[in-house]
Amino acid sequence: MITQRLLNALGGKILWVAAILLAIAILVPASNLLLPVGHPLRVPNYMVALLGKYLTYAMLALALDLVWGYVGILSLGHGAFFALGGYAMGMYLMRQIGDRGVYANPDLPDFMVFLNWQELPWYWWGFDQAWFAMLMVMLVPGLLAFVFGWFAFRSRVTGVYLSIITQAMTYALMLSFFRNDMGFGGNNGLTDFKDILGYPIQATGTRATLFAITALALAVSLLICSAITRSKLGKVMVAVRDAESRTRFIGYRPEYVKLFAFVVSAVIAGIAGALYVPQVGIINPGEFAPANSIEVVVWTAIGGRGTLFGPIIGAVLVNYAKSWFTAAYPELWLFALGGLFVAVTLFLPRGIVGAIGQLRQYWRSRSARDEGGAPPETPETEQVAAEKTVRARSTAVSPVLGAAKPQPAE
Amino acid sequence: MLAAAFLSMLFSVPAARAQSVEELVRQLPDGSYSERGKVVAQLAASGDVRLVPLLEALAAGELNVVEETGQVVTIAPAGDIVRLTDALTAETAGEASKGAVERIRVNNSLRRAVRAAIGQLTLMSDSAATRRSAAEAMFNTAEPDNLALLDEALAQEEHAGVRRTMEQARAASILKTDASAEQIAEAVDTISARGDRAALGILTAMLGQAGDDVRPAIEDGIEAIERHLALLDVGQNVWYGISLGSVLLLAAIGLAITFGVMGVINMAHGEMVMIGAYTTFVVQNIVRTSFPGLFEWTLAFALPVAFLVTALIGIAIERGIIRWLYGRPLETLLATWGLSLIIQQAVRSIFGASNREVGNPSWMSGSFDFYGIAMTWNRFWIVLFALAVFAILLVVMKRTALGLQMRAVTQNRRMASSMGIRTPWVDALTFGLGSGIAGLAGVALSQIDNVSPNLGQGYIIDSFMVVVFGGVGNLWGTLVGALTLGVVNKFLEPYAGAVLAKILVLVFIILFIQKRPRGLFALKGRAVEA
Amino acid sequence: MPRTDTILYLDGVSVAFDGFKAINNLSLVLDKGEMRAIIGPNGAGKTTMMDIITGKTKPDTGEVFFNGSIDLTQHDEADIATMGIGRKFQKPTVFESHTVEDNLLLALKGQRGIFPTLFHRKSSEEKARIGEILATIRLEDRRQDFAENLSHGQKQWLEIGMLLAQDPKLLLVDEPVAGMTDAETAETARLLREIARTHSVVVVEHDMHFVRELDVKVTCLHEGSVLSEGSLDFVSSDERVVEVYLGR
Repeated sequence: MITQRLLNALGGKILWVAAILLAIAILVPASNLLLPVGHPLRVPNYMVALLGKYLTYAMLALALDLVWGYVGILSLGHGAFFALGGYAMGMYLMRQIGDRGVYANPDLPDFMVFLNWQELPWYWWGFDQAWFAMLMVMLVPGLLAFVFGWFAFRSRVTGVYLSIITQAMTYALMLSFFRNDMGFGGNNGLTDFKDILGYPIQATGTRATLFAITALALAVSLLICSAITRSKLGKVMVAVRDAESRTRFIGYRPEYVKLFAFVVSAVIAGIAGALYVPQVGIINPGEFAPANSIEVVVWTAIGGRGTLFGPIIGAVLVNYAKSWFTAAYPELWLFALGGLFVAVTLFLPRGIVGAIGQLRQYWRSRSARDEGGAPPETPETEQVAAEKTVRARSTAVSPVLGAAKPQPAE
Repeated sequence: MLAAAFLSMLFSVPAARAQSVEELVRQLPDGSYSERGKVVAQLAASGDVRLVPLLEALAAGELNVVEETGQVVTIAPAGDIVRLTDALTAETAGEASKGAVERIRVNNSLRRAVRAAIGQLTLMSDSAATRRSAAEAMFNTAEPDNLALLDEALAQEEHAGVRRTMEQARAASILKTDASAEQIAEAVDTISARGDRAALGILTAMLGQAGDDVRPAIEDGIEAIERHLALLDVGQNVWYGISLGSVLLLAAIGLAITFGVMGVINMAHGEMVMIGAYTTFVVQNIVRTSFPGLFEWTLAFALPVAFLVTALIGIAIERGIIRWLYGRPLETLLATWGLSLIIQQAVRSIFGASNREVGNPSWMSGSFDFYGIAMTWNRFWIVLFALAVFAILLVVMKRTALGLQMRAVTQNRRMASSMGIRTPWVDALTFGLGSGIAGLAGVALSQIDNVSPNLGQGYIIDSFMVVVFGGVGNLWGTLVGALTLGVVNKFLEPYAGAVLAKILVLVFIILFIQKRPRGLFALKGRAVEA
Repeated sequence: MPRTDTILYLDGVSVAFDGFKAINNLSLVLDKGEMRAIIGPNGAGKTTMMDIITGKTKPDTGEVFFNGSIDLTQHDEADIATMGIGRKFQKPTVFESHTVEDNLLLALKGQRGIFPTLFHRKSSEEKARIGEILATIRLEDRRQDFAENLSHGQKQWLEIGMLLAQDPKLLLVDEPVAGMTDAETAETARLLREIARTHSVVVVEHDMHFVRELDVKVTCLHEGSVLSEGSLDFVSSDERVVEVYLGR
């Protein structure tokens, strides 16, 4: 009974994916630590770090899917939350260096000594405490999302306008973090970390543990997102995505629904960023670049938005492809990525997961027909799809020069 | 003493005619200081402007004589030897050992005579520009010794502008003398009317040593100058702002068409600008190699070519990709972003990743002074160009068949279609127009920005900000939005620095959109929310 | 008439869009439990009036009171909806990617906050209520179908069902029979009459046959204000109404 309820609340597929993540969380570190070097089944050290990075990206894509796939907010600034979480973690790691920096200053990180700063700025206070830093990892992105969303959603900024201002947000943050005066290391960002929680950050054991934590965090985030989307609130979220003003007229407040999803999503993105930094060893303002955030959108789109596990698949696949391309054909990678953007939007609007679902539906209906029965449910035929496009086209072509003039009520 | 110098000058005029300038110069090293003073006076009377650098070198004690030949030279030490330059002709005159040259000595009275001679040579030159710069130099040195010279020059000066400068120089010199309070007040007036930083410097220096009777006059003068300077600062900032605004306008106006009129988010818009700039580069290279005589006309050729190239690419994009995505603005955004990556990489593969140099024609180089505001010609022309593009676009939208059809299609696609308008072609042409204008922007930007594959990236966010700020679907909004953001940015810069100013503007727009989600020129009404 | 006995009270309401007066000094009073039909040519301001009542548009001047005492101009859409005004749109808007059942579940009266919704569990009463409504709107056998697969008429009914689920005190129904067959129209009229027994209803409609079947007091709007009011026979014999509809 309880298992049944859990299954209902979380969804069968999601539980499978979470289980696989759990297995990865155990198997990859185990094989890396326990098997001897050179063993064919051993995951090499660099691979652990690489996979760990992919999983943090997957977490970011998952966070984006919660707002884009379910509430229809296409955030082009999710990289900002990721980077803020990363910076919070980076600040903790900087403080952990202590007097082992180049200038051996016990109170100030190297870049502050270099800038001739005399004392630690107030916003660095507390970051020597792990618990405080972990709190900030969630609080800072969450707070930014809350403030930003509060203003944006209440003023009913929607659609592409919202996308553009989220992009402006991350762009403004990037410019800010590039400034040396901000006290976050300027151009170079934060790097040269030594320890995390007292363990040497480069050690194999630490790296394997970080990997396991990342996989676990991803699994937990996935389950949380799944629980949210399958609740009644999740249904309201989808309702807001499809017909925002209608939900308002039955008494919901779409702005709060959006705000909730946006903040949860930002916190997940922040945690992802915090896990990313110790595994990659650096955080710099480049993480705020608008291009990064848009790339996250493509991972999500390729995997299949509105599915939660699709974006995880998308993030891992695209980033694997990126690693492979940039090693083998670096000049071709941007062509491939650009092509992916175009191809996915044109041919795979529901991503890999959606396409597989459609394919399965098609096979099922064909086998049903072969058995002589009528197809149980007609998959969306090309004609229906075409009609939809036409409908969307005739109604949704933007507020424009003249259409924006008031038209008499009919 | 001065009178004596003048007298000697007068008497020696006939002698000067008798002796050539070259001979006089050779007499400079020898004789007593007073004799050499007479030589200098004779030189001054010759009116030969070549003497100016020579005399300046003499006053500075940099003039030498080659002992063997008696040639008067300037020297540049090079190890054990010195390189010689003829002081009069400025031609190289070989080398000599250090011992072979001797410095021509000067004392203060000779130096005064030299300065007077320089002043006379330049202040009474035939060229107004030379006279003006001489007066300007005297304004800056403000030597009381120059007063007599200036009076003499003023007596025969006819050019009003030069006269004014001379009067200012005279006033500056008067301040250094023990003149009466009235004279000083008059001089302060003359100087403060000049209204620039140099004038401010003179008056401020004067303030410290002035007596109580003249102090108020000087303080008033300083205040007047500061007011004027502040005004000029504002003017200069407005100009910088308009200049930046015109660049933003150029980059954004094509976007105002595709985003504002069609509702299509074209993230590859910046790449159209970049292609326009590269087209200029290619056209210029062809002109350089094949028709070098037409170099000045490069931009005139580049404009139509860039427009056509980018318009065709735009039409291809619309037909190939965007038309499948109408009504799905977010997908359009992603697809065009993908395109922008492809275009960037393609350009990088063809032209390389480094900056390409596009030359300025001569009429776009240099700068000029507009009532105290410094303007560069290229910025000036770009402002005009941006406004012209805007005006043409306005005419196209309001007065042409294409504009009418564009507006019809955007207001009611089905109605337009049933009235016989071929809506797919109108879509394609509208997108082509927007892209073509981006190409034109690229031609202009190639004159002031680095032509690199990343050129467009730098403009895309700013352009969107302009369109969104100005109000979507409103060309006038784009104009006002671009200029406002440009000016605001430039006014913030002195206080906040360029980067912080930009951040502040972004934050301002983010907040502004919350307040007025439909931009500055928001249109109210039911249909807006539909 | 004292305001306290009214469910809806509009007095001297005007609103203009960029100088165009969509509603011009409109006054309209609806008693508790009354059903009213509103007719009027295109551009008469019917939809804008609905927008004002539901809080989507704020009037420039005038008073709008609900239930005698609640000033609607001070509240937003969500507030007004939870106070008990339900609205059906002209163009059927249901949540297409939800099932019929979920559409009703979302509309069902209950707490609308974020956390109550997040931790909501469907109670047996709610299940029973959804079943009842499905029977009323004749969609019992489509319970698990996605709303996007319903026919136009079924979507209209589903939307009426969602109104019922909200259990509002006042229903605003905008062109409920547009695009329906005659049989469906008759069925809808029956449904609305049934609803009107327990609710106050405002119906905006073009279809005169349908209005006749409703058999209620009719208000005719023209250019943003009331042109004529009374029984359908009275209104349709009014010279000015004929003029507005037929022109001269």
